[in-house]
Amino acid sequence: MALKYSEKGKKIGIIAIDPTSSKTKGALLGDRLRMRDAENIEGIFIRSMAHRGYPGGIARATVGAIYVLEALGKNIILIESVGIGQTDINISSVCDTLITIFTPDYGDEIQLMKAGMIELGDVIVLNKSDMSGAQEAMQEISAHINSDNKNTWKPPLIMTQAQKGTGLDELVNATEKHLKHLKEENLLDKTRSEKIKKLMFSFLKEEIWTKAMDKWDQDHELTGILEMLERKEVDLYRAVSKASSLIFPDC
Amino acid sequence: MPHNKNKIKILIAKPGLDGHDRGAKVVAQALKDAGMEVIYSGLHKTIDQIINIAIQEDVDFIGLSIMTGAHIPITEKLMKKLKEKGIEDKKVFVGGVIPSKDIPKLKELGVEGVFPGGTPLQETIEFIKNKTKTP
Repeated sequence: MALKYSEKGKKIGIIAIDPTSSKTKGALLGDRLRMRDAENIEGIFIRSMAHRGYPGGIARATVGAIYVLEALGKNIILIESVGIGQTDINISSVCDTLITIFTPDYGDEIQLMKAGMIELGDVIVLNKSDMSGAQEAMQEISAHINSDNKNTWKPPLIMTQAQKGTGLDELVNATEKHLKHLKEENLLDKTRSEKIKKLMFSFLKEEIWTKAMDKWDQDHELTGILEMLERKEVDLYRAVSKASSLIFPDC
Repeated sequence: MPHNKNKIKILIAKPGLDGHDRGAKVVAQALKDAGMEVIYSGLHKTIDQIINIAIQEDVDFIGLSIMTGAHIPITEKLMKKLKEKGIEDKKVFVGGVIPSKDIPKLKELGVEGVFPGGTPLQETIEFIKNKTKTP
């Protein structure tokens, strides 16, 4: 995609996020390695990030990096999230267009029916479309794409083979069309302000959690609750409620 | 989750026409398991590409893995480019097939650590941790 945008004369920033190990806190950032061709083009800036335990498919610093890339005059910022599941949706709050990528081996129809990413994607991609089962997958996915009448945008389904570059023109066209749609319907500012609010609350939650954990280490009463829980003198729900009222005595 | 402000970020790079990256991958994995953030460059990178990655990713260390015997000219070129680009603060270490007689020469070029094949992984990890402690 970066190459296609670059051919159109755009300057591209790429933020590629990979997971931090919950065991060792280390991370292997391997997304860049897959972008061999993009790496050599002037005007494309790639920054890898470890998510460092942050929820929602992005890292805490991702938002800051977006600001910097915008200030550098990048026209397009592509964010590759940590592979995300059914509920981690911060990624959708940092971008104007969310591209959800499936491969033909995503599972079965029930997976698509579950609440999750297919509801949020503005553009849906079926990559590795040369794999067997791709045609069936395409039919299944297109049947489940959000066709909510309230929405004026119907997410298109694009078949791609990233390795060969097949379908990438269509994908870039689809994302451009989506952005145009947002602008024409005067939705861009509205969705952006909704998204920044969501992000604010999500980040606030993390901040509160960090502060609570700092407090935890210094507070004997709090660590005492854990010991009571271990000794089964109190059940989990009671312990949580007790701890919460100790951390936030005013609430 | 604490905001890890002091995370160590490392680029493991394979310069030149060298297709042997088992060692580089083993080291990358070991550093990751030691709690560091590791970027692997992939094979066949030019010095300019490696410098470019180091700048864009703002890594603390560059680890070169070289099996071709060209470790001295490659390292020399890298060190020169680091200075040209004003990023000589990045610490460089070298691994691969490095004869012991070449180690002093590499150190002279400004390489902070040399870890030939067979070096215990823990040694490389300790080296990085020590170098990070004293900025």
